[in-house]
Amino acid sequence: MTSAISVVGLTRRYGGQRAIDNVTFDIEAGSITGLLGRNGAGKTTLLRIVAGQEFPSAGSVTVLGDHPVTNEHLLHRMVFVREDQRYPQYGGRFTGFTVRHAVRAASWFYPNWDAHLADALLDAFGLPADRRVQRLSRGMRSALGIVIGMAARADVTLLDEPYAGLDPVARQVFYDRLLADYAEHPRTVLMSTHLIDEAAGLFERVLVIDRGAITVDAAADDVRGAATSVSGPAIAVTEFTAGRTVWDRRQIGSQVSAVVAGALDDTDRARAAALRLRLEPLTLQQVVVHTAGVSPASQPSDTREGTSAWTGTF
Amino acid sequence: MDWNILIKVARLQLADRTSLTALPWGLLAIAFTVSLAVIGSLPGHHGQIPVGGLVAIYLAFFALGVLSVTHSLPFALALGVSRRSYYAGTALLAFCLAGVYGLVLAVLAVIEGASSGWGVGLHFFRVAYILPGPWYLTWLTSFIVLALMFIYGMWVALVYRRWNVPGLLAFAAAQAIVVVAGVIAASRAGAWPAIGRFFTTLSAAGLTGLLAALVMILLAGGYATIRGVTV
Repeated sequence: MTSAISVVGLTRRYGGQRAIDNVTFDIEAGSITGLLGRNGAGKTTLLRIVAGQEFPSAGSVTVLGDHPVTNEHLLHRMVFVREDQRYPQYGGRFTGFTVRHAVRAASWFYPNWDAHLADALLDAFGLPADRRVQRLSRGMRSALGIVIGMAARADVTLLDEPYAGLDPVARQVFYDRLLADYAEHPRTVLMSTHLIDEAAGLFERVLVIDRGAITVDAAADDVRGAATSVSGPAIAVTEFTAGRTVWDRRQIGSQVSAVVAGALDDTDRARAAALRLRLEPLTLQQVVVHTAGVSPASQPSDTREGTSAWTGTF
Repeated sequence: MDWNILIKVARLQLADRTSLTALPWGLLAIAFTVSLAVIGSLPGHHGQIPVGGLVAIYLAFFALGVLSVTHSLPFALALGVSRRSYYAGTALLAFCLAGVYGLVLAVLAVIEGASSGWGVGLHFFRVAYILPGPWYLTWLTSFIVLALMFIYGMWVALVYRRWNVPGLLAFAAAQAIVVVAGVIAASRAGAWPAIGRFFTTLSAAGLTGLLAALVMILLAGGYATIRGVTV
């Protein structure tokens, strides 16, 4: 496998805080990876370091086999529009920096820039080309970031919370266009988001970051089957979950709903059917919520009642 | 160094044409109008009164240097421009602007001379000692000083971006220390007469050479600063 992005022992400290704490991972070339985590988990910091906008305190980052920051040719094969991207903000009503200016400027720097795609995306998102960037709404700014990020056709495309503030129609546009364009022009996409279920269908692989550390690094399909919600009468649930790792358990009257870690096989399913239990695989989002709530050290053996502060989406 | 990228960076900066043109020429026009009105209203003939209004365009260039960094650095880095290319491209723009604007200043100085000070003996563009002599020396000196102000503005903005207010204060303090140390050293060595002689005998071209060396120092300082800037 060829790594597009390779991160080894990466740490970034701000004062005493470790925003990124000894993170190591590899991202295969030609894949779409989700970088998932809560607000402040370190997603944007990690992407900024990969893009060479921020410097690591320790550890190393290689992109396409080379170091960003210093390597001009490498930088032109990489695009990173941040969620809080700052655009030039000068000028008044007739002279300011508009959407058109931003898109045109971006087109100069990318050899594979696709002007047709950029126009199509601007149109699909309903972005007014003559609007000043300063006056765009949150969702429109996100859309502009997506237009630049996708039309750049950069080998390494870093997307930071592209969904932020987008309306449902625009989110669908993004989803469809990204998949269609990716199919025609494969590249390496690393995309951070906390709207996990929305984007779940895109990801081949997920990285979950929590308080600066990677807690999950796996194929998206494996994560989806990683836990199952088991619900039914209390006695039956208790019988079924005996000897298994239970992440969460909550009771309403005589009915219990428990989250069981680990994949279930056919025998398990037959047994659950016999016990009249309902089985539901957890979505990517639910798994991430659970892994974020359970500290990695205590995760395997911890059996808890559903009283913790983090309430899963059941 | 890829010149194509530098030109693209300069073009990105040029998107803000309004500031780049209106700020220096607008301020200069205001300063000129005021000077003309004041000098023109003075009774009788009055030799050379140094009005100093020309400083407006140099201050504007300092402001443009600051603005160039605050406006477009984050966006340029998002588009895969390296810090080095960004710096070199913006400096390239500074030199081009300084060259063109300096030429205009030189032409205006010639016109001022030919029209005996716009008809009222105004010495606005002809600054004694600093901008004397033939038009091309005026041009050269204007060019160097304009570029110097722009690049100094860039450095100030970069220091602020990297180290914020404490950095800016330390930067100002460091420059003050250099000046004070120079003054003390000169006094101790009793070198003031020699320094005075040096500057009075220095030709405009020699002065320009000194300023050019200063520009090189500022360029090196700004580049060293941008290498560690994060966005």
